[in-house]
Amino acid sequence: MGKRVEGKRENQCNESSRVSHSQALICLIFLALASSVRAQSDATKAYAANCAICHSANGSGDASAGKALKAKDLRSPEVQKISDADISDVITKGKGQMPAFGSKLSADTIKSLVAYVRKLPKK
Amino acid sequence: MQNFRIAFAARIGFLTKALGAIAVIALLVVLTEPKARAVPSYSRQTGLSCATCHYAPPELTPFGRKFKLDGYTFTTKPTVSADKKDHNSGLQLLEAFPLSVLFDTSFTATQKPQPGTQNGNFEFPQDASLFLAGSWGSHVGSFLQVTYDSQGDHFTWDNTDIRYADNSRHLFGKPVTYGITLNNNPTVEDLWNSTPAWGFPFVSNNVAPTPSAAALVNGSLAQDVAGLGGYGMWNDHLYLAGTIYRTEHIGGPQPNPGTGFAFNIRGVAPYWRAAWQASTENNNLEVGTYGMHMKSSPNAIMGLTDSYTDWAFDFQYDRTIPQFKNDVLSIRGTYIRENSSLEATFAGGGATQARHHLNTVQGNAEYHFGTRVSGTVGVFDITGTADPLLFAQGTAITGSANGSPASSGYIFNLSWWPQQNINLSYQFTGYLRFNGASTDYDGAGRNAAANNSNYLLARFVF
Repeated sequence: MGKRVEGKRENQCNESSRVSHSQALICLIFLALASSVRAQSDATKAYAANCAICHSANGSGDASAGKALKAKDLRSPEVQKISDADISDVITKGKGQMPAFGSKLSADTIKSLVAYVRKLPKK
Repeated sequence: MQNFRIAFAARIGFLTKALGAIAVIALLVVLTEPKARAVPSYSRQTGLSCATCHYAPPELTPFGRKFKLDGYTFTTKPTVSADKKDHNSGLQLLEAFPLSVLFDTSFTATQKPQPGTQNGNFEFPQDASLFLAGSWGSHVGSFLQVTYDSQGDHFTWDNTDIRYADNSRHLFGKPVTYGITLNNNPTVEDLWNSTPAWGFPFVSNNVAPTPSAAALVNGSLAQDVAGLGGYGMWNDHLYLAGTIYRTEHIGGPQPNPGTGFAFNIRGVAPYWRAAWQASTENNNLEVGTYGMHMKSSPNAIMGLTDSYTDWAFDFQYDRTIPQFKNDVLSIRGTYIRENSSLEATFAGGGATQARHHLNTVQGNAEYHFGTRVSGTVGVFDITGTADPLLFAQGTAITGSANGSPASSGYIFNLSWWPQQNINLSYQFTGYLRFNGASTDYDGAGRNAAANNSNYLLARFVF
């Protein structure tokens, strides 16, 4: 009987050991991934959170979501020739399939996004 | 004979009037342009219509996949926010609480009644769900569902996927989105509709009999496990995901004694997923593989184990057709191979041998007429090791006279969305083979076709 109890404990220990090893492995994988990726500057956060979902990180709109929605290439002459005021207006009020961000983003954030869009062709 | 003719003419007259009335109502609804957008919580959060994320719910468009990949966090609406500064935490809370409601009511009839029961059954409701679905913060969001089931007359935990995501990184010079998921159903984290959790049929009745055999990764562990995993999409092409699961019996005691439950995971059960997607403006293709390995003790947490390994392949192709006002043709398929070594079940007298395999093939093609109507034809085929103990003999309706798990058939589904958040569906399921045979499959005289079902569903989501 004593042996059986011992065996049970050993079994439970082995099982919990397997669980903790697996959890540790998952954590290590994510730490490795997090450290290997290159962190972007704070200036791109608003773009990444609001624009990249359709226009891609580089502004091209060539990711699958952007292609499906026919998102504009923000680096293109067609977009770059639009005035700051008009780009700001599109971000604020939306246009076509693009939703309006005026109720979420402050005027300063929208202004910084316009400046970010201007820099995209040079990136 | 004359009485028959009179009765027949009266019936035809009634049917003509009824069909006429239905046609008039249908025409009125079709001609009435929806004034309200679909308004579930994701739609409220993003300011986008349901159709931006779904060809037809739950089928994801490329934007819908990206929204899910990004942790359900994208919003265009006001938030209560504070910046992270020095040693102070930041805050980003939606002003609108992300709650949605789903209500299903249905009618199901099988070709022949199940002995001792009535045929042609209304369920009002079939089920009703509450969703906490939306952004919890700048990087955390959820799809969380609790469902009232009218047959059980209780609410229970349903599909859940809570995730953290970061989409602002680069790896090898290409954008990468990665995240962590907490979920309760293998494949519920997936982005495509070719894998089981979000695969066809997208709606189904809970009245008609269904085949006994199903692979582990094909829904057998849904809402019976809890898993922690990670995922990543690199360069919008390569998707990798993995989750480790432990048993989590909803309604069961804690700590888990194992008794009364068919699956009790020993150690952890790993799930893996790899997929490659390519897209153009009007084409989206995905090919991938997924699978799972599990050691489990039936009705126990110690002793001998049953071992399962599922290997699966899937593909999905969505073609937008500009010439037809951007109608979409979707084709999807999956093959699942399950190898199992049922040492515990065999020792307990529940199987005639330890080693088994199960093959599952599912495929479907769907045509979306805009976002208002879609028609789908699907086929399925299950084959595997015959075992008269594992697939019980001598049980009417659910049993198998020859102990074979083989089932095959087809599903036709027609869905109509008068508004994007209202779904009226008709579905026919036909069986060519059920639990091992097409005729007298259960040894009690029931044929496979007797389980053919007609299903009408009205779904409201708001």
